Amino acid sequence: MNPIRDAWQSIVRRDPLSTDKGKSELVFLNVWLHIHPAKVRKEHFKLKHTWYLGFITFFLFLILVTTGVALMFYYRPQSPQAYQDMKDLQFVVFLGPFLRNMHRWSAHGMVICVFLHMCRVFYTGSYKKPRQFNWVVGVLLFLLTLGLSFTGYLLPWDQLAFWAITVGTNIGSYAPLVGSRLRELMLGGHGVGESALLRFYVLHVAVLPSLVVLLTMVHFWRVRKDGGLSRPLWKLKPASSTPLVTIDAPANPGLAVAVVPAVKDKTYGLMEVVTGKPLFETVTEEEEEDTVFSYPFAFFREAVALLATVTTVMAVSLFWNAPLEELANPAKTPNPAKAPWYFLGLQELVSHSALLGGVVVPGLAVLALLAIPYLDSNPSRRPAERKWAIWAFTLFVVVNIVLIVIGTLFRGPGWALVPPWVHISGAE
Amino acid sequence: MERIMPKLFFALSLTALVLMLAAIWQASTPAWKKYQQEFYGMEAQGEPNAAAKSAVSTAPVTIRQVLLPGLQRVDRCGTCHLGAEDPTMKSAPSPFTFHPNLAPHLPSRFGCTICHGGQGLATDKQNAHGQVAFWQEPLLPKDYIRASCGRCHKEGDVPGVPELAEGRRLFETHGCRGCHKLNGMGGSIGPDLTEEGARRRYPQWLEHHFLEPNAVSSSSPMPNFHFTREQARALTFYMLSLTSEQMGSYYSGVRVIPSATYGRQLFVEKNCIVCHSIGGVGAKGGSDLLGVAKQHSVGWLDEQLVNPELVYPGSTMPAYDMETNARKALIAFLASATADDARSMLSGRPKALSARDAAIEAGRQSFARFGCVGCHGLELQGGVPNPNSQGGEVPSLLHASQDYTKEEVIKIIRNGKVPPLEDPKKPASPLYMPSWKNVLAEEDINRIADYLWSLQPKKETW
Repeated sequence: MNPIRDAWQSIVRRDPLSTDKGKSELVFLNVWLHIHPAKVRKEHFKLKHTWYLGFITFFLFLILVTTGVALMFYYRPQSPQAYQDMKDLQFVVFLGPFLRNMHRWSAHGMVICVFLHMCRVFYTGSYKKPRQFNWVVGVLLFLLTLGLSFTGYLLPWDQLAFWAITVGTNIGSYAPLVGSRLRELMLGGHGVGESALLRFYVLHVAVLPSLVVLLTMVHFWRVRKDGGLSRPLWKLKPASSTPLVTIDAPANPGLAVAVVPAVKDKTYGLMEVVTGKPLFETVTEEEEEDTVFSYPFAFFREAVALLATVTTVMAVSLFWNAPLEELANPAKTPNPAKAPWYFLGLQELVSHSALLGGVVVPGLAVLALLAIPYLDSNPSRRPAERKWAIWAFTLFVVVNIVLIVIGTLFRGPGWALVPPWVHISGAE
Repeated sequence: MERIMPKLFFALSLTALVLMLAAIWQASTPAWKKYQQEFYGMEAQGEPNAAAKSAVSTAPVTIRQVLLPGLQRVDRCGTCHLGAEDPTMKSAPSPFTFHPNLAPHLPSRFGCTICHGGQGLATDKQNAHGQVAFWQEPLLPKDYIRASCGRCHKEGDVPGVPELAEGRRLFETHGCRGCHKLNGMGGSIGPDLTEEGARRRYPQWLEHHFLEPNAVSSSSPMPNFHFTREQARALTFYMLSLTSEQMGSYYSGVRVIPSATYGRQLFVEKNCIVCHSIGGVGAKGGSDLLGVAKQHSVGWLDEQLVNPELVYPGSTMPAYDMETNARKALIAFLASATADDARSMLSGRPKALSARDAAIEAGRQSFARFGCVGCHGLELQGGVPNPNSQGGEVPSLLHASQDYTKEEVIKIIRNGKVPPLEDPKKPASPLYMPSWKNVLAEEDINRIADYLWSLQPKKETW
C-alpha cells in the first residue's frame, strides 16, 4: 500500500524508460506526445535541412499565447483606456514591460520564422507529392499569422498603432467594388475608432488564434500522414520510383479507398477496412537500422529548440523595449504614415499604383503561393533539377525583401525617397 | 552529437532560468523603492522613541497615486516626491522637498501634472518628467509653471499671473487670429493654436519664436512683431495655457476667478451703469447699488442676477446668463463699489455715435477681431515682409481708395487674393489674403470697407 506510487502509476502507465517498450509507450500512451512516431530516422532531425523553423514558429506561437493571456488580464479594448493600460503595463504591472516585450518580439519573430519556414519548404521541394495540401495549409497559416500580427498592432492604441492600421486597411480598400465595404466591415465604421479596436481585439484574442490552433493541428497531422518531417531524400539512397496501386474497399470492390505505391517491403492492415501497401516514404527494411527511439533522440532536440527560442526571446526582451508612442490622435497624421513593416512592401507598391499594388499583385501572389504544388509538375526534389523553380521563388523573396526594406528605411515625409542616414528636420 | 544534446539542454535551461531571474530582479528593483526606503529612514530619524521609529521605517513600500477622473489623469508623482505635503521636509533634499503654498490646489484634488506637466502615470524619473520621446508634456521649467494656471482659469485676471491676461490681450490686438485659428475661429495660414499648450510645450522655443520668428523656424512666414521680452513672455504664457482638454465640472467651474477687479470689468461690459447708479452717480432707471451687498445676502444677490423676476415680480432687469464665478465676481465688486467707480465708468464711456460712425466703428472692431492687423500692420501701414510677392511686403491699406474701388476691395475680402509673384520661378509667397466669405457676414465685410475708406485722405469723396 503506497498511495504515492499508486497515484504515480495511475498517471504514468508506461514501462520504465530504460526499456524499449517504455520508450515506445511514452509516445503512444501520451496524448501530448503521440503526434510523434515511436521511432524516427535520424535524417528527419538534420539541422541543416529543416533548420527547425517549423518548430520555432510553433514555439513562438506558444510564447505568444502564454504572454498574450497574461496581457489580457491588464487590457481593456476601449479608447482611451487601452492606451492607459499600456502605460500601466509599462510602469506599474510587475514584469509588465517584460511580458509586453516578449509578446511583441515573438510576434515579429513569428512572422519572420513562418516566412523562412515557407522558404525552406520551397527550397527543399517539400511541398511536392504527397505534401501538396499541407503546403496549402501552411500558406493559410502564414496569412493567419499576418492577420494576428496586424490585429494585434492596433491594440496599444498609440499613434504607431492607429496610423499603421489606418494605412494598412486603406491598402485593402483599393479592391474594386467590395474594397471600401470590406474595410468598413473590418473597422466597424469609416475610420479606425473604438469599434475597430473592439473588432480587432476579438479577432486577435479569439477568432484568429482558434483558427491557427485548428489549422496547426491539421498541419501537424498531415506532416505525420504525409511521411513525417521532411528530409533530404535526394542525398539519401535514390528513391526507387514505385508504381502506384489502387486499393479497393473489401466489401465493395471498385470503390477506391486509397492510392499507394506498390512497394514490396511492408504490408499493413487498416483495421479490417482495407488491406494494402503502406503510404509514402515508409521505413524500408534496409533503413530500419537507422531508426532510433523518439525518446530521447527527437524530444531532446525539440526541447533544445524550444529552450533556444525562449531564451532568445527573453534575452531580446530584457534589453529592447516594445515601442509605445503617443495616444492615438486621428487629427495628427504622422508624415509619412506607415503600415506595419511586413505590409510596407505592399504600401510601396500602392504608392506606385493603388489598384495594381494594393489588390492585383498581392492577390495574385497569394493565389500563386497556394497553387505552387499543383503548378509545379516537376517530380524531382533535387535542387539541381529544379533550377527554374528556385530562381522564380528566389526572385519573389528578394523582391519582397527589397520592397519592404525600401518602404521601411528609405521612405521619408511625403513618401519621398530618403536614405535612412539623412535626417530631415521638422518632420514629425 | 548525442552527448552534446543533454549538455545543451542543461545549459539552455540554466540560461532561461538566469534570464527569468534577471527579468524578475529588473522588475523588483525600481528606483522609486529606494527613494521610499530612504524617505522612511529620514522620517524615522525624527521620531522620538524606538516604537515610532520602527513603525515609520517599516511603512509599506508602494506606489502612491492620485486618481483624477475629472482631469483624466492619474498622477503617481507622490511615489517619489514623498515630502511635498509635509512642512517638516522644508529643507529635505530632492525629491522629498516640501512644496510651499499648495493650498488651495491640494494634490489630492489636482495632482501635480496639471500645473507642472510631466507624465503622471510613469514611475521612473526620466519618463515621469516627460523628457522622453513620444510624450508631449515634459516638465515645465520653473519660470513657466505659472502659465498652467490658464489651463483652468481661462478668462479674467489670474492673481499673480498678469502674463496670462496680457498675452490674451496681445493675441487679440495684434491680429494673431488673421493667420491662426483658436477655438475654431481664425485664419489658416499658420497652425491652429487651440491645442498649443497640450501639444508642444517648449517654452524657450516659443519665447524665442515670438522675439524672432525666423531664428527658430527659418521657413516661418510669421512676421516679426518686434515684441518686447515681457510681451514675448506673456504670449508664451498664453500659448502654454491653450488646451481644449476636457475637465470635470469641479475644474471647469473656475474658468474665471471671482475677483472684484473682474467684477468691475463685467459691470462695464454688461453696461449696468445704463440703468443703475452707485451713490447717486449714474442712471435712475434701476436701484442705486451703493451698499447693496450690505442690505442683501450673497445668495439673494446671486438669485437676483440669475432670475430677477423671481425676486421682484415684474422687474424689468434682464436675466444675465453668467456663470457662477462671474456672478460672484460681480457681487464682490458691488461690495466695494463707490460713486467714484461710477464716475470713472461714465467718463470712460464713448459718446453716442451716429449711424455712419457706428458702422465704421463696427468695421474697425471686426478688422481688429479677425486679425487683419497681423499682416497689414497695427496702423494699417503694411510693411510685413512677404518674400517673392510684388513689392516684397504685405500692402498698406492706408491708400486703398486710390488703387481700388470699394467694390473691388469688398471682392478681395470676400474671395481672398494670392499676391502676384515677383519671380514666377521662385516658390510662392508664404502670406496671402485668405477668403473671408465663410467667416464674415456680407454686412461685416461692407463695414470693414467703410472703415478702410474712413481712413483715406479727406479729399476723397465717397
